[in-house]
Amino acid sequence: MGGELFERRAVISGVGQSAIGRQVDRSGFQLTLDAILAAVADAGLTLDDVDGLAMFPGGGKANVPGYANGDLYEIQDALRITTSWRQGIVEGMCLPFYGPAMAVATGQARHVVIWRTVKEGSAARNAGGRPAYGSTNPTAAGPLAWLLPVGALSPVCQIAPYATRYMHEYGVTREQLAWIPVTQRAHAALNPDAVYRSPLTVEDYLASRMISTPICLYDCDVPADGATAIVVSAAETAADLRAPVAIEAMAGVVDGRPSWEQWEDMGRVGYATAAAMWARTDLRPADVDVAEIYDGFAIEAVWWLEAMGFCGPGEAGSFVEGGKRIGLGGELPMNTWGGQLSGGRLHAAFGHTAEAVRQLRGECGERQVAGARVAAVTSVGGYEAGAALLTRMP
Amino acid sequence: MTATVGIPPAVTEETAAFWEAAAEGRLLVERCAGCGAESFPPYGMCRACRSRAVEHVEITGRGHVYSFTVNYQRWMPGLEVPYALVLVEWADHPGVRVFGRLRGCPPEDAAVGMTVEVGFEPGPGGYAVPSFVAVADVGDGIGGTGDGGE
Repeated sequence: MGGELFERRAVISGVGQSAIGRQVDRSGFQLTLDAILAAVADAGLTLDDVDGLAMFPGGGKANVPGYANGDLYEIQDALRITTSWRQGIVEGMCLPFYGPAMAVATGQARHVVIWRTVKEGSAARNAGGRPAYGSTNPTAAGPLAWLLPVGALSPVCQIAPYATRYMHEYGVTREQLAWIPVTQRAHAALNPDAVYRSPLTVEDYLASRMISTPICLYDCDVPADGATAIVVSAAETAADLRAPVAIEAMAGVVDGRPSWEQWEDMGRVGYATAAAMWARTDLRPADVDVAEIYDGFAIEAVWWLEAMGFCGPGEAGSFVEGGKRIGLGGELPMNTWGGQLSGGRLHAAFGHTAEAVRQLRGECGERQVAGARVAAVTSVGGYEAGAALLTRMP
Repeated sequence: MTATVGIPPAVTEETAAFWEAAAEGRLLVERCAGCGAESFPPYGMCRACRSRAVEHVEITGRGHVYSFTVNYQRWMPGLEVPYALVLVEWADHPGVRVFGRLRGCPPEDAAVGMTVEVGFEPGPGGYAVPSFVAVADVGDGIGGTGDGGE
């Protein structure tokens, strides 16, 4: 790449989280403030240093049931700060730090806080079960018009045909894929903040109830309550920061049809994003020490393992089988905080980013990957996908 | 048939023709008056040549299941489970893939590549929703290979 990449002019300076659990009996607003204050302190900054605010998602989706970001202006009012840059992201590259990095790299702000707050655990409890997607609206508009009327009432039903097709094409089995949630649960046991920490076995996985074939209960992430905030700072401020982490490369490409059911090749997802990301760095997949890859469903982690080149197409089943390669001490420790499958659905790679930053700083205690210098972070998957490499600062 | 439980569609300028035809049991997709390409869902614009001059064409032939899922979770009160959802493609209608329910066989019999007929059934809000019908006798030599309709 000629010239300096914009992401090299940005660093991730702070991460902070509220209490996280199946249900946390505080408002989303208070959880958001908890996370922002923790992240700013983690960066070694004060609120008066913050001049940018962003949240994911923004706009009309910020506060659908279980989404609890609140109102960006109310948060700014509560923090009593001045901002030169703000963003509420609905669409857009899918990485929490992408937009903020653009802001600080172009001088529009020096320290941007972005947050994601969920109360999906409480929302599910209050509805007497996980509510149907979009069920609070009387009609299904836009792309949902082709999903909700026929009975594809949840993201599970929308993702499941991808898993069916993938397993059909490559002969990968549920017995193999079970090792993703099983291994991540073992990691969660070492994370005091994870939602589920008790041991999980392949037998438990195979005996669990089917949600929408071939996706069973343990293939789904855990609706949770909690907030995560991330501070992105201009690289030139590094001397003022406690423990910044570098952004080596990042990308988010939408190449196929941007629709859950119209995506052309359901056996292959995320490849364009991963290729664009690798084109921005001299590092290679073998250089990655820890992978915090999106796992809204276990099959999404499969996509990322293959798209990122950690294994070949159709090889994820054998790659994860037995859990050795993706476990702590393996060649690619994966979702060391438990991922969203056990750590909680903090959404849009906010939990993954927080863990990657902590791993690169060596702050992960019992679950620390020794000497971690390069972390991969990926977000969501399907048509909207983001991928990044974060690296320890010299 | 009693109506299936779900959430009714918001009907728009682009989708009204589809839902009106659905009520008559007919599957309409957009066809470009210029280049002849077909596409779904309807956007009022050809996805092949970007022409705005689109008309509609009815699909009547047998399709094949690209992928599927069998849903067991009761997402809404009164939702009867399990039921199969299938993504259907047609070898002679490239560019078209339609999501719908599957009937005419036990849901667990859904398979990649299986042959289906176009169909609809009463859905939420008085709308007819795509509900493909399994074809018992697969005689075209395509179904069951897993690669039908591609």
